[in-house]
Amino acid sequence: MPPIIDEDKCTLCGNCVDICTEDVFFGSKKKQLPRVTYPHECVYCNACVEECPAEGAVRLRLPLPMMLMYKPAPTA
Amino acid sequence: MTHIIMAGEQMEADVLVIGGGPAGLMAAIHAAESGAKVTLIDKANTVRSGSGATGNDHFRAYIPAFHGPDMEPVVKEVAKSQAGWTRPQSFVRTWMKTSFDIVKMWDDWGIPMKHEGRWEFSGHTFPGKPFTTLKYSGQSQKPILTKEAKKRGVKIVNRVTAFDLITDHGISGAIGVHGREDKIITFSAKAVVLCTGGCVRLYPGPTPGWMFNRADSPHTTGDGRAMAYRAGADLLNMEIPMRWAGPKYFAKCGKATWVGVLRDPRDKPVGPFVTKPDRIYGDPISDSYKGLFEDYMKTGKGPVYMDCRGISNEDYDYMMHYMKHEGLHGILHHFDEEGIDLRENPIEFMTYEMTTRGGIHYNEKGETSMPGLYAAGDEYFGGISAAATFGWIAGGKAAGFAFGRDAPSKNAGKESSEALKNLVREMRNRKDGPSWQEINVALNQVMSDYIGPTRSDTLVEAGTAHLLRIKEKARKDLVAKNQHELIHCLEVLNLLDVAEVIFAAIKERKETREKYIRVDHPYKNPAFDEKVLVCRKGPEGPLTEWKAIND
Ligand SMILES: Cc1cc2nc3c(=O)[nH]c(=O)nc-3n(C[C@H](O)[C@H](O)[C@H](O)COP(=O)(O)OP(=O)(O)OC[C@H]3O[C@@H](n4cnc5c(N)ncnc54)[C@H](O)[C@@H]3O)c2cc1C
Ligand code: SF4
Ligand code: SF4
Repeated sequence: MPPIIDEDKCTLCGNCVDICTEDVFFGSKKKQLPRVTYPHECVYCNACVEECPAEGAVRLRLPLPMMLMYKPAPTA
Repeated sequence: MTHIIMAGEQMEADVLVIGGGPAGLMAAIHAAESGAKVTLIDKANTVRSGSGATGNDHFRAYIPAFHGPDMEPVVKEVAKSQAGWTRPQSFVRTWMKTSFDIVKMWDDWGIPMKHEGRWEFSGHTFPGKPFTTLKYSGQSQKPILTKEAKKRGVKIVNRVTAFDLITDHGISGAIGVHGREDKIITFSAKAVVLCTGGCVRLYPGPTPGWMFNRADSPHTTGDGRAMAYRAGADLLNMEIPMRWAGPKYFAKCGKATWVGVLRDPRDKPVGPFVTKPDRIYGDPISDSYKGLFEDYMKTGKGPVYMDCRGISNEDYDYMMHYMKHEGLHGILHHFDEEGIDLRENPIEFMTYEMTTRGGIHYNEKGETSMPGLYAAGDEYFGGISAAATFGWIAGGKAAGFAFGRDAPSKNAGKESSEALKNLVREMRNRKDGPSWQEINVALNQVMSDYIGPTRSDTLVEAGTAHLLRIKEKARKDLVAKNQHELIHCLEVLNLLDVAEVIFAAIKERKETREKYIRVDHPYKNPAFDEKVLVCRKGPEGPLTEWKAIND
């Protein structure tokens, strides 16, 4: 479920918990792995990714209903 | 079973700013610079909250070095734009006159307002018409504005949602609810600036059941409008609908950042303005025809695509750079994951759901109809430049007002804070009843079915009756299992108040004019020429009044 935290890369700094606009990480405890409590409220603003000091520790997975509609490129 | 008790806390300031988007931060900065003691409260964290959280890239501005000494053509063009068409020209003139100062300030603080060292205008522009949107790199605007506010001594209180204004002996502050602790905070202040942003989550979004897939920030839920209304201030143009358009199904504003041609499925351009991707214009057809995408779908001619094929390498790099600054990272990331390449894949666009065009009636000084109460930004939609400019203006005026009055009495707000404590305590302790989601969905369906695109007296009548039933149940029965749910409960209570006002305003405006359509009154009523519809709280619900446009 979005967002996804990589346990091995996360430094437990809490930045994502502090800044998330929708408080998706509500209920997370200081110095512990962030808890993704309200994944359905994520707006894919990317703020947690931008404020994360550990590259790749948090990433977003877009839910299927939000996938873009696009035209495939013509095959050669 | 634990019984939840709400703790209380008191804070004092000269100026209280509610909402820390660009409008609120600019208001706080100016008020603090003027010498006022300023507190700013935000529902989230000002570093990345609201609609400008991860950036914007178009800033309406008059830049003398670019436009020349005559500002009037720019004023006229902005007055016709989506951001200005419901505003008096005098308002737009003040906005444009001040905009350059704001641009210079932002540039000095480290928000890049120039493109490769020069002023660049592009997007939202019709060929042959004056340019009004300055291209800028706003990705870091929120962290930077937060830093500037702190530098000037602004006290920022994050994760507190204001719910009601204190109105004992004039505007005297506000009461807020903490989003992570069971705590109510009474903020006493000599002047208040409302900057809570837009009014999202009134109507169903693009994805059924997916409440937070929204073009604008879904935690901006008309709280300022509802607070102002409950305090007795005027709301304006609430009946006029507003709709955005953008990529489908990933809802996000920022249409003008896309450099392409809007085409039908057979590759025919749907508008007359551009035939190949051009970064200067984008495709302005969807600026003047917002319902385009929906109409093409309804008539079976759709879908309509944003087609960037044929874009030059230089314009492609430009577009990708600005998409990052426009806060479209989520979309960029999705391109990577799906292997979508804008140079090859046209992206379908859609018309997003409605909201209200209207909001708090604030004038070019940021004053509302109540002394001591100021408002700015998307409390009445104007985009990022209006937010920054009128935030700045309102903050200065609020400080001036605060200097001229004594601090509110120690007892101010006691009663309203007790009332809110009771309401909140009940929601937190109730075991059974509707969740905020139930109420929000019930509201969404009554909005779209009874005052959606089809509006008439009989629909308004039936819808109002149902809305009032939902509202009564919400106040009596809502359940909040934790503080996070509690904030959502307060949001839906606000949305219900705003909805009631919209129903009342639609009932009153029995005519069809520009973007406002009444199927049972399909004509313009000249009696309403040069007039606007104002709503305020009466003893039995919303009252409406027609006012001359410049009042
Ligand atoms: C992806 C995207 C791109 C956009 N691009 C552009 C663009 O290029 N040009 C343009 O002109 N416009 C653009 N917009 C619109 C622009 O972002 C908004 O007009 C602007 O952010 C409005 O600023 P604001 O301060 O009024 O409101 P917001 O930025 O929405 O801030 C509102 C603040 O109030 C807080 N808040 C809400 N309720 C409460 C409460 N009850 N108590 C306390 N705090 C509260 C929120 O947490 C938030 O911090 C874009 C919008 C989006 C979503
Ligand atoms: S993308 Fe935005 S809303 Fe989603 S978890 Fe990150 S900060 Fe929160
Ligand atoms: S910001 Fe990054 S490192 Fe810090 S807690 Fe979140 S995921 Fe972990």
